[in-house]
Amino acid sequence: MDNEKSDGSMDNQEKDVSDVIKGLTPVDPKVLEAFTREMTDQVIPEILRVVEERRVLAAESRLWQLKC
Amino acid sequence: MYTWLPVSSGAVVGELEQYISSEYDPVRVAKKLADGISGAVKAVLIERNYNDKDYRSTYYSFYAKKGQRYRSDCVRLHFFDETVLFDDQTLKLSCADNRITDHYFGYMVLRPTGIATIGRTVLSPDVRSGASRYIITAHHKVHLLGYKLTIQGFPSMDQHVDIAVCAHVACWSVLRHYSESYCVYREFLTHDITMMAHEFNPGGLVPSKGLQMSHAERVFQEAGTFPVHIAREHSRAKDPSFYRQLIAYVESGFPLFASMHTRAHAIAVVGYEWRPPVNTAIPGMRYAWDEVQSLAVVDDNHLPYLSIPRTGGSEYSVEDIDAFIVALPEKVFYPADAVDRLAPALFKLGAAVGLPPQDETIIRYFITTGSALRRFVREKESEFDPQLLATIMKLPFSQFIWIVEFATEAQWAVGQVAARAVIDATASLREIMPLWLLHSCKQALVFDRRKVGLDSLRGVGSLNLDDMGHTGFTRMDQNLRPTQTK
Repeated sequence: MDNEKSDGSMDNQEKDVSDVIKGLTPVDPKVLEAFTREMTDQVIPEILRVVEERRVLAAESRLWQLKC
Repeated sequence: MYTWLPVSSGAVVGELEQYISSEYDPVRVAKKLADGISGAVKAVLIERNYNDKDYRSTYYSFYAKKGQRYRSDCVRLHFFDETVLFDDQTLKLSCADNRITDHYFGYMVLRPTGIATIGRTVLSPDVRSGASRYIITAHHKVHLLGYKLTIQGFPSMDQHVDIAVCAHVACWSVLRHYSESYCVYREFLTHDITMMAHEFNPGGLVPSKGLQMSHAERVFQEAGTFPVHIAREHSRAKDPSFYRQLIAYVESGFPLFASMHTRAHAIAVVGYEWRPPVNTAIPGMRYAWDEVQSLAVVDDNHLPYLSIPRTGGSEYSVEDIDAFIVALPEKVFYPADAVDRLAPALFKLGAAVGLPPQDETIIRYFITTGSALRRFVREKESEFDPQLLATIMKLPFSQFIWIVEFATEAQWAVGQVAARAVIDATASLREIMPLWLLHSCKQALVFDRRKVGLDSLRGVGSLNLDDMGHTGFTRMDQNLRPTQTK
């Protein structure tokens, strides 16, 4: 872990990335659609499921006694 | 007050008890040292009447109240290599290059408690027999005879048995590492940890009954960190992502408070060792965890940096770890579980970037800061197309970012990666594109975090990159110290 603070300047945060970074070209919409579909249909529901499952497992383990 | 003890192989076992009184249990200490310290330690300086703040914290609150009399002072052992000399008339340390700190391997405090006498210890992994290759360390200052020495290591101690158990010690080790590493965290003494675990002063011998996981979580909250508590599914075979995120946090430089429920034992996980590179005939995506051979742990029953294998082992193995707590800074919202699921999905963008085939890729993910990424890129700037370098310098990263690295087996073997993704650690779970950047050697996708959530077509841009004439980017290994076995 690094202890330093982000040095992204406020100027950059106010501008669009395309204004700051030159030479950007559009991405094939089909690729982005495929990724969006994968995230929407598969990945995000799976993330939500596993995060909830972890919460339950963590709750069960909170009473484990450690003394050796 | 000071005794210089040259060490010939194994001789320290018999000699320590001649110089240290029995309440410090020198026989057991010498045996542990003989079994666990390499032959590079050629001298021990015994410092008596040492006031140790951690022991004193327990002395004031416990030992001084007992009928049995305990001393208030400790003995401290300092370890040196063969080049250091000690003049007992002038009390001067000397060595040929005048850089004593380069020949110093750390210290061990001995408490006058009769049992479990090894107190605060910071030992160089370089002289620990069998230490793993990569260890989380901090620079610890040591004041000795007017010299200011420094040792890189991870703090450890024996549990007190009566007023602190393994879980207290694991919390203490992690938090002492934090206070030495990061100025935002204050120092907590042994007794502070005991007090922080409960809403009230537990008093007497109550702490010897042990801590629950929830108490350890409370200790880390009280210390100002934001603990994330991850427990494994009961069947370890069904939960490989538990171990994948365990190694991800360790690789990020976060020591873990880890529990072994069936053994009622707690340890701190502080390092790892890769297995030797292998050529597998069977294709299939792998994770960094699959390449780990062993973990390094701080266990209060052993000297630090005990190496434990993935399975088997003489005492226990990584498989016995079934929950851990990682004490994170505040601004890490996107959990490792989410990164673990997101990383394989990035292959859907592979055609636009040029990722290696999914079933030939090893995925590694970890947390770092935007500043650390920029520093790494600056150090390796010849590897980066100038446009990509400028992009990394200009993107307004959040303070903490997740990095996902994609490597082929051949690249992994030589410490290289084919591509890298930069994920916003402050992203929400439901974000479709929680990324700042995904790049290979040929192409980069740049994500505008202000737009991408509303309009992915306008929020993502592509950048053609010049071939910089290398077979892969250097893997970003920078949080752990490589052990140089001596």
